[in-house]
Amino acid sequence: MDSDVFTFLVGGKAGEGVKKAGSVAAHIFSSMGRYVFQMDDYMSLIRGGHNFSVVSTSPRWISSHYLKANLVVNFDKRSCETHMNDIAENGIMIFNSDEQELENAIGIPLTSEAEKYPMKNLMFGVGAVAILSATIGFEKDKMNQIIRSEYPRGIEDNISFANTIYDIVSPDCGAKFLLEKGDKKRPIITGNEAISLGAIAGGLNVYYGYPMTPASSILHFLAKEAENFGLAVVHAESEIAVINMAIGSAFTGAKSMVGTSGGGFALMTEGYSLAGITETPLLIILSQRPGPATGVPTYTEQADLSFSLTAGHGDFLRIVASPATVEEAYYLTAEMLNLVWRFQTPGILLTEKHLSESSMTIDIDLEKAKWADQKMHNGGDYKRYLDTADGVSPMLFPPSKEIIKWNSYEHDEFGITTENAEMISFMHDKRNKKLEILVEYLKAHHTVNITRGDNPTNIFTYGSTYMSVLEALKYSKMNHTIIQPIYLNPLPIWELKEFKDQENIVIEQSITGQFATLLKEKAGLKIKTIINQYNGRPFDPIELSNKIKEVL
Amino acid sequence: MEDLKTYADITWCPGCGNFGIFTAVRNAIPLLEEKGIKRNNIVITAGIGCHAKIFDYLNLSGFYGLHGRNSSNSEGIKIANPDLKVINFSGDANGLAEGLAHTMFAAKRNQDITFILHNNSVYALTTGQFSPLAEKGWKGPSTPRGSYEKPFNPMSLMIEAGATFVARGFAGDIKHLTDIIIQGVEHEGFSFIEVLQPAVPYHKWVEYRERVEYLEKEPETHFEAIKAAKEKHKFTLGIFFRTHRPVYHKELYGDHNPITKRLSKETRLEKIRKILESK
Repeated sequence: MDSDVFTFLVGGKAGEGVKKAGSVAAHIFSSMGRYVFQMDDYMSLIRGGHNFSVVSTSPRWISSHYLKANLVVNFDKRSCETHMNDIAENGIMIFNSDEQELENAIGIPLTSEAEKYPMKNLMFGVGAVAILSATIGFEKDKMNQIIRSEYPRGIEDNISFANTIYDIVSPDCGAKFLLEKGDKKRPIITGNEAISLGAIAGGLNVYYGYPMTPASSILHFLAKEAENFGLAVVHAESEIAVINMAIGSAFTGAKSMVGTSGGGFALMTEGYSLAGITETPLLIILSQRPGPATGVPTYTEQADLSFSLTAGHGDFLRIVASPATVEEAYYLTAEMLNLVWRFQTPGILLTEKHLSESSMTIDIDLEKAKWADQKMHNGGDYKRYLDTADGVSPMLFPPSKEIIKWNSYEHDEFGITTENAEMISFMHDKRNKKLEILVEYLKAHHTVNITRGDNPTNIFTYGSTYMSVLEALKYSKMNHTIIQPIYLNPLPIWELKEFKDQENIVIEQSITGQFATLLKEKAGLKIKTIINQYNGRPFDPIELSNKIKEVL
Repeated sequence: MEDLKTYADITWCPGCGNFGIFTAVRNAIPLLEEKGIKRNNIVITAGIGCHAKIFDYLNLSGFYGLHGRNSSNSEGIKIANPDLKVINFSGDANGLAEGLAHTMFAAKRNQDITFILHNNSVYALTTGQFSPLAEKGWKGPSTPRGSYEKPFNPMSLMIEAGATFVARGFAGDIKHLTDIIIQGVEHEGFSFIEVLQPAVPYHKWVEYRERVEYLEKEPETHFEAIKAAKEKHKFTLGIFFRTHRPVYHKELYGDHNPITKRLSKETRLEKIRKILESK
């Protein structure tokens, strides 16, 4: 195991505070100035089942969790069985000795200690925090301070319980893992929080959503912050209503965004096409989970790429981009909001559960967010769909003395319905011009992340899988060039030319290799092989680095 | 009045009930202006169907949406900028078939929009299929043996859904209809106005004229309103229900306006910085 990485894994039933314990652990590490990556694995249920949270930390930037943990804390039997093989070399497993006996692991009477307090097994999470604190030699008073701020219910009981557990653990493995301090404390946020904050920084005014994992937490975050930022945030009756409301809002000049997953986006495609012909600026957050249909709600996949590139009937300009990291999610959401307004067309920020719901320490330069702006009409008679050199018509919003007509039928420049043959092709040509200037714009901007290495085999990947690849290479000290196109439509083929005849492999989370197909079709790349995982789980860096070695 | 027309050729059938609605709306706009509702603040939406052609003919700003979805566009307009007055045109298929859920929810939320339902009880533009308000037994190309479904009762349906102004007018009584539209637009909340509107290839004016009646008295309570909506026949005109409850956008954000009172980038970044400090 990479000696600079320490991993903490906590597992138990839903409702026992597993995720919260992971998040408090992450804050303990970040308070030590270390970088953190937290991945929560949970089932689609409210109580019971098996959930676990993995938190990997390092004094250097870390871009993935590791499944082999140095410290595994299990609240129940099922968790012990599940994570028996997830212990790193020199790692330890701590289990609830009131539930079972286990060799080669350290038992702590979690249940009998917790039963001394009214909250009982709701305190297991606090117990895990105490176990972690003891094993890494994190001082009690610092631990108590964190518990005080993170567990506001029953503070004194929690602290008393934590201190008892801390004292039970200490004689055997107190300060067993001494973690080097990092350079500074950084905030920890999820991908969905970064998307929400990026949208706000980019000028968001309204957000519509219908709950669907893994996009729901955008709706929840924005609903909570609506008043603070002067936003309107609405949970509507369906994704069909969601997209049509957002389009109505955009008509008034409101920077509008919606968020969903594959199934919800399927319902939105009718409105997506509507945004195409009405030239409505609209940003859609599409966070992928395993499909088809209901699929596996709380896990990850990258199988909606092809769908996102072609969704919606008819020809129109669709902008699709996918962020690799939590930081990039912030910048790219703001930039996408800007692009859809600049080019008056709908766009998709394509992400996946792994980015949406994982948490990371971040260094964000807030100012760097783009501010969405549009070409405005400056006086005189107004025509909504005025033809211009670049195909982008100046905008004007009601209330106005001018007449502003947006139309779902093919229309003339004023916005009146037409069936005239010349006008139909004229409007197609007008809208189609926008692709050229979009490409020109993108050529002047950063559209592909390339990490150079000297191994002759290049690795192509996209979305948060980029982080898994980076970490795998770091772990195994392999030195490949990694190419991650941020934009998927239009695909920045001008940046990919140099790799055309080189040896390339693709790493993605889709059984049919949708990303590899895109690269072959659009960029003419030769792909030697595809490493794909489609079991709903993100790649583990160690397993991935082994897979890479196998195909070389 | 001519100034409310665009240059678009009118393609409704000669004698269509839609002309009556078109005239009533054009009558209502200047009268609404006299009451302080500025024309520049009025925005229209339409779905798809014969009703929707009014979008091209009326020289007012607006959004011509998809079949069944325009009430969601209307809601989005109102939520983003509550200074706008939204008049939402719909056919009975647009609003009560494809768009039923959206219509019901707009009423449930008491969105401050005026929903005008052009009820011709038929899918006119797509050649005469039965509609949600067609009589049982209607023979159209999709129901050659007659439809098997009972029509909705739009009055009681919308009262139950939560509309706070529910009325019925007739395209053949423009004065009465104009008055109802004015009251509907002035009403703060979801105003639902059903307009009986013959589509002449399928229904004759005489079928309506012979049967039209007026409510003697506006019902005063929810109970009376439901009773009237259920007991009176479907050619009964008048205001069936009127009540007051908070409108959606005010429940959502009070007197705020997400557009005119939007925060600057600097203020936003300042607040984001604060959030990150606690993360």
